[in-house]
Amino acid sequence: MTDGRAVQRSGGRLKPPLVFALLTLAPSPLVAQDPAQRALDLERRGDPAGAAALWRSVLAERPTDLSALVGLERVLAPLGRLPEMTDAVRTASARDPSAGVLGIAIRVWTAARQPDSARAIVLRWATAEPASELPYQEWGLAAYGMRDFPTARAAYLLGRERLGRSGALAAELGQLGLLSGDYASAAREWTRAMADNAGSRPAAIGLLSQTPAASRGTLLAELAKGGPLGERLAAGLEVRWGEPLAAVRRLEGTPDALADLLSDLGRAPPQPETALARARVLELLASGAPLPDRARLRFDAAQAYAEAGDQTSTRRILALLARDSTSGSFPTLAAASAMLGVLVEEGGLEEADRRYRALLPQLAQEDRERLALRLAQGWLRQGRLGRADTLLAADSSVEALAVRGKIALYRGDLAAARALLREAGPFTGDRASATHRIGVLGLLQVVDPDSLPALGGALFALERRDSAAAARELERVALSLPPDRGGAELLLLAGQVQQGLGRTADAERLYRAAIAQGVPAGSAAAEFALADLLLKSGKKEPAIAALEHLLLTWPTSAVVPQARRLLDVARGAVPSS
Amino acid sequence: MKRREFVGSLMGGWTGGRLGLGHLTAVRSAPSRAGWFLVPMDDTQSDHLKAYGLTFRVLERGGRAEWFLNYRYGSFLLPADPAVQRDATLAGVSVVPVDEGQVATIRAEITQGNMEAVPLEKAPKVAVYAPPNAAPWDDAVTMALQYAGIAFDKIWDAEVMGERLRTYDWLHLHHEDFTGQYSKFYLTYAGAPWLQEMVDRNQRMARELGFPNVPAAKKAVARSIAGFVERGGFLFAMCTATETLDLALASDGVDIAATFADGTPMDPSAADKLRWEKALAFQGARLELSPAIAVYSEIDGHQVNAADRRQPLGAFSLFNFSAKIDPVPTMLVQCHRQVIPDFYGLSTSFSRATLKPGVTVLADEPGAPWVKYIHGERGQGTWTFLGGHDPEDPQHQVGDAPTDLSTKPHSPGYRLILNNVLFPAAKKKELKT
Repeated sequence: MTDGRAVQRSGGRLKPPLVFALLTLAPSPLVAQDPAQRALDLERRGDPAGAAALWRSVLAERPTDLSALVGLERVLAPLGRLPEMTDAVRTASARDPSAGVLGIAIRVWTAARQPDSARAIVLRWATAEPASELPYQEWGLAAYGMRDFPTARAAYLLGRERLGRSGALAAELGQLGLLSGDYASAAREWTRAMADNAGSRPAAIGLLSQTPAASRGTLLAELAKGGPLGERLAAGLEVRWGEPLAAVRRLEGTPDALADLLSDLGRAPPQPETALARARVLELLASGAPLPDRARLRFDAAQAYAEAGDQTSTRRILALLARDSTSGSFPTLAAASAMLGVLVEEGGLEEADRRYRALLPQLAQEDRERLALRLAQGWLRQGRLGRADTLLAADSSVEALAVRGKIALYRGDLAAARALLREAGPFTGDRASATHRIGVLGLLQVVDPDSLPALGGALFALERRDSAAAARELERVALSLPPDRGGAELLLLAGQVQQGLGRTADAERLYRAAIAQGVPAGSAAAEFALADLLLKSGKKEPAIAALEHLLLTWPTSAVVPQARRLLDVARGAVPSS
Repeated sequence: MKRREFVGSLMGGWTGGRLGLGHLTAVRSAPSRAGWFLVPMDDTQSDHLKAYGLTFRVLERGGRAEWFLNYRYGSFLLPADPAVQRDATLAGVSVVPVDEGQVATIRAEITQGNMEAVPLEKAPKVAVYAPPNAAPWDDAVTMALQYAGIAFDKIWDAEVMGERLRTYDWLHLHHEDFTGQYSKFYLTYAGAPWLQEMVDRNQRMARELGFPNVPAAKKAVARSIAGFVERGGFLFAMCTATETLDLALASDGVDIAATFADGTPMDPSAADKLRWEKALAFQGARLELSPAIAVYSEIDGHQVNAADRRQPLGAFSLFNFSAKIDPVPTMLVQCHRQVIPDFYGLSTSFSRATLKPGVTVLADEPGAPWVKYIHGERGQGTWTFLGGHDPEDPQHQVGDAPTDLSTKPHSPGYRLILNNVLFPAAKKKELKT
């Protein structure tokens, strides 16, 4: 071996001859150790033949030495030579009836395919420990390790018979059924296991959930025959398999089991169906609960329904909750606020407005502003800019400024919109709305006029999800503006709206029009959008050409890093994510 | 260009005296009068990895380039023609226009320091040994080549056993298990579809090639690869391909494969029967006998898959070589970082005690009994081994998300890989006498 730093290093190291001398003078560690230590050392060094010989020498002197028996088993098992230990275990088990020795004997006889000898040892062990499942577990596991499923099953059934409990070794038999594809048997055994030990439910669900889709029907049908315990297990599996509503239907008539189901649903991946199932369970639990628990459960159910997007059920539960609340057992305000939110989402703004005004005297300022903001956003979506503005007139919070900025924008008062949105700042609201606001501000910076109702109308159409009208109007306004004073940016925006509508031809036309305007910021961004569109349409080569044109034409544009990344993706140089 | 030709011309140039004027002339003839682009490889470079691709493509187009070893951490000098300008802009590679006077100043600096200017004149023909359906994101070298934009062909057992290997200059070994034991994942990942697919594919190929089992086929493939090196090829291997290639070569006639691979257990005294003279880099290593532990031998210093022997990751240091006397190892260690965080692989490192005499250590972990990066010769060719799986994913696991090199454009570990791809392109023009 040559070493680039050998010259520099040699001064700080022992010279090779000296190292040799020290080694030859030191006593050999192998000579000083006993055979067991030497055997372990040889095992570590990867010399199983030498280690086996040493373990055998230990056993020749001490036939019941458990360390040596275990060591020899450890060395021979990976080589497939465990049957060579039959003499050793015959001698050892004759002299020592301890569990450790008998366990090794069972494994060796099983590996040697001598089930009668293994069975004799199991029975001997079982006689010494009549209440223990261990001898049968040891035998079953050893047989399973040999892929000898019939012997493993026989071992467990022998144990069950001798132990006299129908639930004995049920988990082992259940697992065996599962592994051998006998799902009906697996279902029966795991139900027995749960009857024997309620704590085995998570293990049962974890293992049975691996049942292939084609066999799940058989499994569930068999579980249903197993009474309430089987039904509980089946429901847990349905949750695991992404069918939480089926699980709720299964347990609707058994309130005691619903708490378990709620816990299963809490661990399930978040999705609308899970939220809906959770809401339904909470509602069922609430119907049988006394106050004040009932009100709390109903409130949770209403929230879960809202989370699942089921506004009708949310309203229904909130109405029930309002009845509960009249008894004074639950905060009226919380329920009323929740109801107001539901009404806004449903578009019932007149009723929401009426309820809001009725609640006003009881509301703290913070709650008042929060509800007014929500109501104003509802009015804004319905195009009632005046009512929205009135609600927020006295509110100087940054959230209100952001909404008022949007109102000014939709009225075409660009000067006021600029001022209000700038004042609202970049951090107000959630990430999406903040990003949108900054994007709008960026657009307003390049558009000169202080008033442009046509642009306000176009953006308002977008807010109201009338995207087709918005795109048409944006294109019309864009063509009326100079390219470098918002023209290119609005064409890009119009293209993005068209793309969102799935009108890729229109989007491509608008992007290309924006690129043709040759404005560094807007045109580069449009070319990036065009490339992205082309790539998503499977047009790889034109996408690459667009990106190359972008990078070569506007090398200092802000979109260059994204463009390079997309170019890498288009060329297959990096994984697409 | 084969290694003998490369080294011969290199040494011919060196023994002839100073090189500066001669190779300057060589590169001068290629570019237009527009001058040159210096591609700095220090921290001012915006994409170190793509700089290699930029240089490679100049050579592919028939142009010439120079590699300034140890000058600004291994910079390149490229002709300032429109194609290079365009390519650099698209790739985001930083280039600095320099005129003849500035180039002369750089050459003077190179002449006076531990630096060297090495002409690059021909893009090597690159092959990656990988199974037909191997995911491109599973192998660091494939990822580096794709990210840098260096063209390569994928070949596998049929091509290696045929004549096609002869058509390539440079061969990289995807992290293959040349002992034919499926990376020893057979028991750990039993039942996993990807493993079953790997087993089926390998068994099918072994049958097609007329071998009784996969270990026998892989040994033959390993011998063919060693023959490629002997004939003058450049071999680069990472991770488990390093260790298992040598084990396969050394185990000619010895059963080192577990029962699941060839139907018979490993010969318990296999280690004593290995013929290390056939191996490229290693000797005297003891073997891991358990089929359930995804470790092959004590060649690997880190033993990542043996819980009781696993060593923690540290950092490895690149060695400094004399650029004028040892240009080959100097090329292989060009990097803007001297110390690089280590990364695991099925074979992470190489025990010093198992290295053959004559192996050049390029990087090690100071004070540790292992080294990371080694190089050597066999016949007319060379081989280079780098331990570990992915320099930017220190603890890569089966099924992990692939590394996205667009987020690691300055990766020093990946630079080491790309040094290897470019170094076969190097040739020094002999001095006119």
